[in-house]
Amino acid sequence: MAENSPDLGGKIGYVVLGATKAEDGTRSVSYRLGGESDLPFIGMKTSLGSIPLVAFEICDDPSYWSPIVTSYTGDLVSDTPEWATAAEQQYGADLVRLYLTSTKRRGFDDFPSITKVTEEVLSGTGLPLVVEGSNEPAIDSEIFQRCGEAGQGERLLLGTAEAGRYRSVAAAAMAYNHSVVAQSPIDINLAKQLNILLREIGVKADHIMIDPYTGSLGYGFEYSYSVMERIRYAALKGDTDLAMPMIASAMDSLSVKEVREADPVIRDDIAVAWEFYAALSSAVAGASIVCVRHPKTVPLLKLAFRELWAGKKPGEF
Amino acid sequence: MALKALDIYKLLPKKNCKECGDPTCLTFAMKLASGKGDIDKCPYLDLNAKNILGASTRPPIQLVKIGVGERRFAVGEEFVVFRHEKTFYHPPGIMFQVSDLWPAEKIESVTRRVGSEHFVRVGTDLTFSGVAITNESGDPDVFSKAVGVVEATGTHIPEVLMAADPVVQEEGLKKCGNFRPLIYSATKDTYKPMCALAKKFGSPLVVSAKDLESLGEMTKLCNAEGITDLLLDLSFPSLRDYVPAATEIRQKSISRSAPELGYPIFLDTTRYEMQDTALVLGIDKYAGVIVTPALGPASSVATLTLRQNIYTDPQKPIQMNPGIYPVGNPGKESPVLLTVNFSLTYFTVQGYLESSRVPCYMFIVDTEGLSVLTAVAAGKLNETLVRDSIKKFDLENLVSHRRIIIPGYASPLSGKIEEETGWKVLVGPRDAAEIGDYLLKEWKI
Repeated sequence: MAENSPDLGGKIGYVVLGATKAEDGTRSVSYRLGGESDLPFIGMKTSLGSIPLVAFEICDDPSYWSPIVTSYTGDLVSDTPEWATAAEQQYGADLVRLYLTSTKRRGFDDFPSITKVTEEVLSGTGLPLVVEGSNEPAIDSEIFQRCGEAGQGERLLLGTAEAGRYRSVAAAAMAYNHSVVAQSPIDINLAKQLNILLREIGVKADHIMIDPYTGSLGYGFEYSYSVMERIRYAALKGDTDLAMPMIASAMDSLSVKEVREADPVIRDDIAVAWEFYAALSSAVAGASIVCVRHPKTVPLLKLAFRELWAGKKPGEF
Repeated sequence: MALKALDIYKLLPKKNCKECGDPTCLTFAMKLASGKGDIDKCPYLDLNAKNILGASTRPPIQLVKIGVGERRFAVGEEFVVFRHEKTFYHPPGIMFQVSDLWPAEKIESVTRRVGSEHFVRVGTDLTFSGVAITNESGDPDVFSKAVGVVEATGTHIPEVLMAADPVVQEEGLKKCGNFRPLIYSATKDTYKPMCALAKKFGSPLVVSAKDLESLGEMTKLCNAEGITDLLLDLSFPSLRDYVPAATEIRQKSISRSAPELGYPIFLDTTRYEMQDTALVLGIDKYAGVIVTPALGPASSVATLTLRQNIYTDPQKPIQMNPGIYPVGNPGKESPVLLTVNFSLTYFTVQGYLESSRVPCYMFIVDTEGLSVLTAVAAGKLNETLVRDSIKKFDLENLVSHRRIIIPGYASPLSGKIEEETGWKVLVGPRDAAEIGDYLLKEWKI
């Protein structure tokens, strides 16, 4: 019904995640994100743009994870590869995002475990993988080198590059042909600046995904929503430094007061609603990947996207 | 397209008669140009000038008021496509649906719930907006009774009367027509009697049609009947069409390229299976009135919070008053935690402190609403501010120790604050979620 918006000449660039056997990897599917030349949800009839993907977030040390997820999921969370399998087969996610939370332990130095868990998760699921590296700058280089190498040929998405802390992750990404999550603190100019920095050291534009930082619903989400709209619109107007697909994860959703302190009887429902409202709104604002942690949120988002994108499949144009 | 003040001025009588309430025709023209004036205030305009000005000087989206009394609300009169361009002014009214086939007690209980339920978030009271009474019986008397049940609760909340048949509609209006209920809806076949009802009761009216072009034709027809308080029904058969249609309406009405679409949007989400999805799309993208089944507890809070988020002025950080806020029952030896007066920071930290069960003082300094990260980067959070705030809020007499915990992101300032204040600085965690653990492990007196 809608015509395309006036006066827009730009286009979001492509990023490819995952590599199938035909692409010299082992993933069962790969996705090409980006390509949109209009506002989100518009122009679908002329087959512009891809359906948003749902990433399910897991970690390798669940003691750092929300008790809402761990108590809902049970023992499964202690077996990272099995958890990844469940994300694909039970929950129906499009991607798995692995957080290496074990690196948060004081004095972490078990580097071989990083290689091991990355490899095991890659065997546990055929989905393309996002890996979130260390929380400690001092060990960045070793960690990213390890997970980059373990995922060689799989076209991972490696995170997270920030201004002042992007060299290690970028180096690993370039060495093993992975893409990079570029995160900036809810600021369009800083997002642009970081993309320029990454490109200056050799990361190609089609290997960058913008993470504008997503506050959770009620706790800064409005700023994230608007910065995503601004980035998308700037890209459509021709700013190529911002014309990368975006990834959004309102990762604090399960720890905000409304969810954390909810009546246990409905706590899971509140958690799911909190994730769902922020994730769907992020897609409305232009995110290509939305990330959630509660298993029940995944099928709801998938259903909504499938309906709104007229039955399009992930990765299809 | 929008006219400039000087173009408008050329069409005015240039008498400077002041009868419009403005000192000169030029100031009146400037008001009209900014969308804030009313051309009908000029008694000397000729018809031609009125026609030219009419479409281009009213706000690009008509302001429509629904209900009366304390709970009344207004929608429309928006000026931007994206909230970051300025702000969105009028949050959508969210109306719980009740059916005239329901027993009176059920209608009553939903109505009373909307009347009394409220959630407090970030210091603001959030409520649902009203009820939408649907005529599923097809019977005018049954409909009228259902409206009567809603009225009898004495909640005085705004109403939508959803009856396609003008005869049925009128029976409902007889019960509540004095309270500006929203009439749903006029179609190509019913617009004449519906407009007559809207006129008789002074009520706003929703127009329904199969696409945007026909909706535009409908508003013109209703305008010709003298009705301008209109809403556009975008409850199309497929929810897929909502965002593109709502976006097109907003773009074209703001650019004034299709003034016939310059009205608020109506969305009936009860037509779709994916209730939460429809609500999210309506709130994010321009709906003025949204009808929904009574929501469960999880969707209720999420819906109201999303609406609050989208309609927060993006240019004004929400601020707390700087000062000292006790958590629990702190004493002379309790920890003091410094943070900024950005209200989201405040409420986040406060939530974690409360659940840590360590009584303490939150020491809120004035960073003009900036977050910790931005306040440090911009130099707003600095040692002088901390020193002055300690004096101003008399922290020295409040606690017997001289130790202050600062946010992890403010760690570069720790040395300077110690030098300037003489207080020992402890660097807390970056992430507020870790504050409870931190206090239990690190705070020893």
